[in-house]
Amino acid sequence: YPLFQRGGPQLRIFRPNFFMVAVRPGVPQPEDTVQFRVSMEMTKLDIRNYLERIYNVPVAAVRTRIQYGANNKRNHRNQRVKKPDYKVAYVQLGQGQTFQFPNLFPEKEQDTETRSFDDYRDKYMEKEKQKEEGDPRRGGVPDWFGL
Amino acid sequence: MAALGARRLLRPGRRWFSDTVPSAPSPPASPLYPPVVASITAKSKAAKSRRLQRFNQRVHEAATVEEKLRLYGKLQRPKYTVYPQTFALNADRWYRSFTKTVLVPGMPPRAAAAKPPVATAGATSETGRAPEPRAEAPGHAEAAGEVEVAANAEAPGAAKTPEPSAGVAPCPDIGELRSLACDALLQESFYQNKKRPFLYRDQDHTPGPFLTQLVSTLAASLSGHNPLLAASSLDLNPEVNYYWHHGNEVVVHGHRKGRVDPVRFQIDDNPHLQIRVPKQLPEVVPLESDLGDVPVIDHKPSKLPLFKKQYENKVFIGTKVADPCCYGHTQFHLLPDRLKRERFIKERLEDQIEVVYRSNGIASLFAWTAAQAMYQGFWNEADVTRPFVSQAVVTDGKYFAFFCYQLNTLALNAETIKNNPRKNICWGTDSKPLYDVVEDGNVKGFNDEVLLQLVHFLLNRPKEL
Repeated sequence: YPLFQRGGPQLRIFRPNFFMVAVRPGVPQPEDTVQFRVSMEMTKLDIRNYLERIYNVPVAAVRTRIQYGANNKRNHRNQRVKKPDYKVAYVQLGQGQTFQFPNLFPEKEQDTETRSFDDYRDKYMEKEKQKEEGDPRRGGVPDWFGL
Repeated sequence: MAALGARRLLRPGRRWFSDTVPSAPSPPASPLYPPVVASITAKSKAAKSRRLQRFNQRVHEAATVEEKLRLYGKLQRPKYTVYPQTFALNADRWYRSFTKTVLVPGMPPRAAAAKPPVATAGATSETGRAPEPRAEAPGHAEAAGEVEVAANAEAPGAAKTPEPSAGVAPCPDIGELRSLACDALLQESFYQNKKRPFLYRDQDHTPGPFLTQLVSTLAASLSGHNPLLAASSLDLNPEVNYYWHHGNEVVVHGHRKGRVDPVRFQIDDNPHLQIRVPKQLPEVVPLESDLGDVPVIDHKPSKLPLFKKQYENKVFIGTKVADPCCYGHTQFHLLPDRLKRERFIKERLEDQIEVVYRSNGIASLFAWTAAQAMYQGFWNEADVTRPFVSQAVVTDGKYFAFFCYQLNTLALNAETIKNNPRKNICWGTDSKPLYDVVEDGNVKGFNDEVLLQLVHFLLNRPKEL
């Protein structure tokens, strides 16, 4: 983007090429805080304007940090493999709004057919395992040992 | 032979067919074995608690208060620095949970009941009114503002009949005090020729000197009515520090990873002005009163955002321990430029304006009262036996907010907070303007209520005086 100099025009971007990914926080965050992974070139002002203008989300405060991706893993040629760096933004919502990251993989309701099939399958697996183990009265001694 | 045999058989020490009756074994004067207690140096929870008990014993047995403070803050570890004047959103809720404080809106009832008479312009009309019983005033004076003014207007009528305490000059004149305030304001903002303030130095340019001038002249003129003010000490830009523990956390990184540590906090505050007095202000409500709920916040304090640093654990009220004026009366805080009203309005955060005043009041007053209590020898293992009361005025030059804090408990760390029902209480008002605008040598829209509240704050004193 062109560098701003005094007297120059305000920079306006109409179709930004940035995108922000809302992620589930690794540590519990307060109710009004949303965690995003954003492009490394975005600033706090950019994030605020992005959310307010495009998505009409009231933003009270933005804090950012850059997460360093580790460079410890080695590939089959013993070269170090870098995980990419990324910027994390913590956005506090205004006007008392709260946000809770949703559960994306909820437990599905099982109908009677699948439940009975699951029970049958579990019982069958148990029987197979017991057959493999052998007679418990022999105390772990294998079958071929004997007179 | 029989005698020889008998002698050989009778070994020394053995009583065989002797005449003496074996007496009951006498209880030993001291126990034979030392008491069975946990080790001191082992890596176990029992050893840790024994070490903690030895440390507490050492602090209890310290001879002087300085020695107690030195031992209390001896071990340095990373701690959260709590700033009373902060831009963090909803900081007052977090600060209330850190300090176990209940926030009660409005001024406490004793501010209406125990107010000494102040002559208002229309005082003559109230002399004929029947004296209102003092007990009724608390019920009516819960909300600040108009009701307070009415109670103020009624109190003179009630208190004029009993004469004021001996040796105190009668009613301060509100007109005189108003002219003093307007003089200070006009001198700083109109008459004196000042250059333009440097960038972000607006508050030090006009409201700072105005506040200093106002408080010193008001205190000087009211010291005739309040003997406590005459014996007080006014500090300019003092330092107030307090260090405390609250709750437990598990250490995340480093060589101490996995250990359970108390969460440490430190407040380092610089109020603009401070009045310290030799006698304690009277308690507002009894020690064990419960006026509300303390917010419980499960998240780590670093989400506020709050940051950790390791430096000296200081506990300081403004002077050292040997000073006779060791109790606090009133603090005056000036909000800095980055927390101006206009900035919040520009960022569309109007509800955070009041949060700034409240967080400043709660944090500063908690630090001051707790440090005063530590100066008297109380700490979190030896909880306070009487409540410590102080007042504060938070202003940005035009808008004034009044706070009154009662410290009922110092025991905030994880073990002592379990069976402690006491809570600290903070009464606070919203911010109100003292004047509307200053133009052409006139102060337009001067608000008498704010000045009256300020005067009542300064006239507050213990009942014996």
